[in-house]
Amino acid sequence: MSRGGNIFRIIFNAAVFILLEAAALVMLKHDGPMQDIWLSKGIHAFQGAVWGGTESIRDYFSLRKQNAALAEENYRLRNVIREYCASTGKEIAEDSARNVVGGFRYLHAEAVKVSNNKQHNYLILDKGSEDGIEKLSGVITENGVAGIIDAVGKHYSYARSFKNTGMTVSARIGKEGPAGELIWNGVTSNGAILKEIPQHIHINEGDTVYTSGFSSIFPADIPLGITGEASVVNGSTYDVKVTLFSDFSAIRYVTVVNNTDDTEIEELEVEDED
Amino acid sequence: MKTSQNFTLMYILLLTGQILICNFINSGPYVMLSILPAIVLCLPPGIPAIVLMLIAAVSGLAVDWLAEGVIGLNMAALVPVAFVRNILVRLLFGKEHSERGDGFSIKKNGFPKISAAILVCQAIFLSVYIIIDGAGARTFLFNLARFAASLLCGFLLSIPVVNMLTSGERQEGWR
Repeated sequence: MSRGGNIFRIIFNAAVFILLEAAALVMLKHDGPMQDIWLSKGIHAFQGAVWGGTESIRDYFSLRKQNAALAEENYRLRNVIREYCASTGKEIAEDSARNVVGGFRYLHAEAVKVSNNKQHNYLILDKGSEDGIEKLSGVITENGVAGIIDAVGKHYSYARSFKNTGMTVSARIGKEGPAGELIWNGVTSNGAILKEIPQHIHINEGDTVYTSGFSSIFPADIPLGITGEASVVNGSTYDVKVTLFSDFSAIRYVTVVNNTDDTEIEELEVEDED
Repeated sequence: MKTSQNFTLMYILLLTGQILICNFINSGPYVMLSILPAIVLCLPPGIPAIVLMLIAAVSGLAVDWLAEGVIGLNMAALVPVAFVRNILVRLLFGKEHSERGDGFSIKKNGFPKISAAILVCQAIFLSVYIIIDGAGARTFLFNLARFAASLLCGFLLSIPVVNMLTSGERQEGWR
């Protein structure tokens, strides 16, 4: 038989095979309740994957349109700021000039040295007191918390990494869930434990853990990781395993956050203690 | 003509045997006894894959209808066996052998080659059968144990079936 005939025969055989298998699956779907659920699940997963894929392709090809829309929005927002400045008499919002947002000042820095393989790890940042870095400022990345500034030199600062067995960060499950202390598990690079979660609270695996904002070092709602298994400790609280988003071995550019109102908060605390 | 009738009769008898096995032999959750892959393997050489698949579909459906609860299960598992049957025969027994339309038998081709053919057919059938029958509700280890136990029992049961269908050149006149 010719090559073309062979290919045609193979295609025809495959088509008949698919047709017969499809017929069998349709019969199974109608006759077996378990198979019905299983096949429906499979079909939905397939549809999800196909729709997700086509959506991504559509998104990619609509980037130009989205860019235009963003430029338009940018223009409108600039107009709003201009009108706001004109009506209030201010040149520009003073806080934004000082990189202050929501009571926190943000400074960009680069990690020039990172220790990763010890029980007490650290980061050395290329910014110091002359750049406005202060002691007990938080160090964050786009993937979560990286550490806390422990010592400040003129041009460099030393931060204790979150991968430090003695360091805790106040965190909560979800943006409005229970808060506890997040501590590195000391074993894996991206493993942490969220401690002291009350036992009456139901914990779902896969929930996002955020900073609680209670510590005055880190702003609230920075995503830190995903919850895993929970285990009861001392019969009263849960210890929840957390998989961190941060890849500590890849840390390079960080943001140092400093609470501009911490002095006021500390004064209030001292006053209350007196 | 006579051999053709012989084979058809034998095929129907073995199909009835499979229905009886399904209805009256309770082999437990780990063992699934089936001679269907063996009888599809022994269908005479030279039959086009499409016809093989149609015969397999009808045979599977007959067993589903008359023996087991879920219709389509044996059919879904048996059609892939028929789909690869000609390729398998060509690979194991040689291209010339398959082009001449010669039947195969334990005597002619040897026990190892026939065993390999039976094992491949059984493995394809059981993989599809166990996955669909489990419908994602059974553990991988259970499915694996079921597959291994069923493969062993199916293989042992298939040897006499293949011997019965291929001895006396029953296959050769069936065209």
